[in-house]
Amino acid sequence: MLEIKNLNKRYGRFYAVKDLNLTIPEGEIFGFVGPNGAGKSTTMKIICGLLTATSGEVFIDGVDALNHSSKVKDKIGYMPDFFGVYDDLKVDEYLDFYASVYKIKESNKKQIISDLLELVDLSHKKDAYVDNLSRGMKQRLCLARSLIHNPKILVLDEPASGLDPRARVEMKAILRNLKDMGKTILISSHILSELAEMCTSIGIIDNGKIVISGTVSEIMQQIYSKKLIKIKVNDKLDEAVMVLKEFPFIDKITTGENIIQAGFDGGDEDMSRVLSTLVSRAIPVATFAQLDGNLEDVFMKVTKGGEEQ
Amino acid sequence: MINPVLLKEIKVKMRSWKAAGIIGGYLFILAAVALFITYANTNDMYASTINPQFSIGAYTGIAVIQFILILFIAPALTSGAIAGEREKQTLDLLLCTKLAPRSIVIGKLLASMSHILILIVASIPMFSIVFLYGGISVLEIAQLFGFYIVTAIMAGSVGIFFSTYVKRTIAATVLTYALGIFMCFGTIFVAVFYVRIFYNFDYQNYFPLFYINPLAGFSSLLTAQFGGQYGGILNMIPGLYMVNPYNYKGTAPWLINTYVNIGISVVMLFLASMKINPIRKGPLSFLRRNKKAA
Repeated sequence: MLEIKNLNKRYGRFYAVKDLNLTIPEGEIFGFVGPNGAGKSTTMKIICGLLTATSGEVFIDGVDALNHSSKVKDKIGYMPDFFGVYDDLKVDEYLDFYASVYKIKESNKKQIISDLLELVDLSHKKDAYVDNLSRGMKQRLCLARSLIHNPKILVLDEPASGLDPRARVEMKAILRNLKDMGKTILISSHILSELAEMCTSIGIIDNGKIVISGTVSEIMQQIYSKKLIKIKVNDKLDEAVMVLKEFPFIDKITTGENIIQAGFDGGDEDMSRVLSTLVSRAIPVATFAQLDGNLEDVFMKVTKGGEEQ
Repeated sequence: MINPVLLKEIKVKMRSWKAAGIIGGYLFILAAVALFITYANTNDMYASTINPQFSIGAYTGIAVIQFILILFIAPALTSGAIAGEREKQTLDLLLCTKLAPRSIVIGKLLASMSHILILIVASIPMFSIVFLYGGISVLEIAQLFGFYIVTAIMAGSVGIFFSTYVKRTIAATVLTYALGIFMCFGTIFVAVFYVRIFYNFDYQNYFPLFYINPLAGFSSLLTAQFGGQYGGILNMIPGLYMVNPYNYKGTAPWLINTYVNIGISVVMLFLASMKINPIRKGPLSFLRRNKKAA
């Protein structure tokens, strides 16, 4: 669906994007993660025809997007990180305007606008002035706007930035709906954990380059050679540590208040063996879980401490 | 299909009190001028007779005021058109749609021109006062209104041009008025110096730079309409003649001004469309590509 080959964007001697390669199959949600100034927005703008590339190729649905930008514009829905709204336009008029821009037939407009407002849960605000909406509502309206022409691919630049927790949850729910509808989504954020739970795969970009990409578990495996386990005991903390030390596939044991964290290099059977041994030695295990690792640690590790350019 | 940017702009602009305020203020000024002229003429000693001078005076007065108002209002309406979209961060949203950059530029211009057109149409009743006394034909008023519209489009296009080339609305507005002032008055200074230095004020032609001067064109139009009895304003400047209708054989200067205005508008709008196109390719881009391929 979206293929980027050796993409470069240079401003003088500075490379905003350097040799970027990326393939996003149809129906996937790809999370584009990186610190501020890493090149996320630049890449997205190039994909959407808002910036020229210094070199490289971008194919959308097989069409060369850099040389035939007008042919791919109806395949892309773009939501920028900062966006404005027109004063004195009502919510439905705002969408009606963009429907006209995409030459949607008058007879279909009303239904499309109604469906989109329902999707983003703004039906009740249909007659409200856009300027009077909350930030979360404006973000959702902007998402509806990017969907007005039913694009195959959505390019969402930090759609949840500046939202309160509730609005973030609502935005995530909408994005999951869109995934279920078969949309291919490229979504950016500078917070890895924000994207991890909803993206099928993730690419971490730093200094204009993709430093690592794949599913969250693949990335974790690439970064951490071992899994992490976390055990909470009600009592006998030292005894539990002694038991864990008996297993050769467990190392780097650290303890906190009734909490043990350790590196684990075994399979599922080894995992159950550890648990059953702890229980058989009468250690009161309250919780026993495998950790996915600390996503923020991964981010800091691959982005060289998350330094801003 | 009507340009969606035009439709949206009209909807938004006409909804606000500002639109009603501009139309109201505009008509108030014109009505005040018309009333003043009528009052002045009906109080003179010849008021009991039909005085054709009154018709000419009223026509000139209203026409000049209207022209000045248009020259002030047109750039103000357009100089923030694109810069304002950029400031509001809505320009990218438009540019990533299928809407061509030229459609955005033309939509913005037409929206502003529709506003000017409303002002011009609303002023028609003011001109009816002229018909009470005769001396001015409907054709002449049509010429005048045609000149208004072309001049407004030219001034508006200059505003749009600066609006695309300058990021801030205020800067675009300042530059638009600066160019407007040069076109209206700067050209006169250049002409005076040129004629003084090279012709010692013995210059009997329409100075070529005046073809970009809206005031010169307007003055020429009125001069032509009055058959030379009421000379152009610029004729008052020593050595400069707009046109002498008794000797002049060529195309009327105001007509050439009109063509030049249309030309300026086309060039300005073309450059503005090029500028806002984010993936525009320069005229030499094909050379670069060939070089890369080699």
